[in-house]
Amino acid sequence: MAVTEQGVLGEVLQELARLPGIGPKSAERIAHFLLAGDRSRAKALADVLQRAVERIHQCRECFNLTDQELCPICQDPKRDGSVLCVVETPRDVSAFERIGRYRGRYHVLGGRLAPLENVGPERLTLDALLQRVQRGGVREVILATSPTLEGDGTALYVANLLRPTGVAITRLARGLPTGGSLELANPQMLADALEGRRTFH
Amino acid sequence: MAAEAAIGLVIGGSDWSESSRIVTLFTREWGKVRALAKGGRRLRSNFEIAFDLLTVCRVMVIRKSQSGLDLLTEARVEERFSVLRRRLAALYVGYYMAELLTEGTQEYDPHPALFDRAVAQLRALEQGMAPLQVASEFELAWLAELGYRPRVDACAVCGGRAEGEVLWSPSAAGMVCRHCRAEARGAVRLTSASWQWLQAQSSGQPAGNLTSWPADLRAALSLTVTHVLGRRPKMLRYVDGPS
Repeated sequence: MAVTEQGVLGEVLQELARLPGIGPKSAERIAHFLLAGDRSRAKALADVLQRAVERIHQCRECFNLTDQELCPICQDPKRDGSVLCVVETPRDVSAFERIGRYRGRYHVLGGRLAPLENVGPERLTLDALLQRVQRGGVREVILATSPTLEGDGTALYVANLLRPTGVAITRLARGLPTGGSLELANPQMLADALEGRRTFH
Repeated sequence: MAAEAAIGLVIGGSDWSESSRIVTLFTREWGKVRALAKGGRRLRSNFEIAFDLLTVCRVMVIRKSQSGLDLLTEARVEERFSVLRRRLAALYVGYYMAELLTEGTQEYDPHPALFDRAVAQLRALEQGMAPLQVASEFELAWLAELGYRPRVDACAVCGGRAEGEVLWSPSAAGMVCRHCRAEARGAVRLTSASWQWLQAQSSGQPAGNLTSWPADLRAALSLTVTHVLGRRPKMLRYVDGPS
């Protein structure tokens, strides 16, 4: 279904329909919700988006998104600066923070190596990561890139880059999801789980 | 419309929505196919995380007769190649093969021999063959399948015997004699070891493994691929290093 409205309303629908997960029908529903009756909600949304666009940028240290020079995690003295978790995007930081179990710091690469899509090492924050590790104080780097071929390739590249520094390099475990059923697990999950088995205490 | 079965190698893909993916497969039955996998990004779906790059999988596809993407309804992993996750050089060659299959073939133009060769080369990587040898052998197979089988028994320009100094012309896709040298711009001088390897490869004889991979042979093959494709493949920068 194409956007048929003209004028400003048509522009609003078009912009909304460009957002991930929003199709033309959802765009229409959201636009009419925002513009019906009291428009204070629409104004508040417009204001906060305006401020976000102007103020949010990358953290100077870890490249997470922040509205300050350093993000709250890099500023927090209670976080363990000797452990760095290397992730692809700021969304991955949010995913780790939601579990509330990780007390180290992060480094956001800004994507993953995908040479077929013209994403080479120069497009990622790899130089900054190397400098961070070379400055000292880091004893472990956790490679938390996606468990896809491109994610594993990125992890391999980062590991090769950091190996001369002598820092311990670990990779996230993979295999069976907690609460899942063995008979429903796919062969790759089972193979990964078998390969990554640990001593049972 | 009934779903049809095929076996394919995943050579590309992009996210379509929060849960769906568009996957490019090089299938044995139909050649290159782009199809939508609704729910293909979910861990628990009919697709069994089969759409990771360079995975061989069996798929069920509903082919659209008119415009619109074909629809994948099911996928099962047949084979993965763990070496691609352990060695960067192997991964780059895998990507390179995916690029040649993507860029060098048309949709629904089947090349079963090329599919078999791609899988065979990935298996060879898995078994420890040198990545540059895997790349070179695949380049020769790719050129032959596309109708550019390199000529190594005689001059590719005049058909005469190529004696003495061995020259390779990327534009003529093969050996050139001394007389035709001027017509074959950018010819690469080959060592006798490289020439023998090429001759063995094209006659289907076991070419053996060269101890170190010769730069002249890599230059000859990559320049020929570049000539046929009309541009330098982006993965050559990773496979051979910057030109």
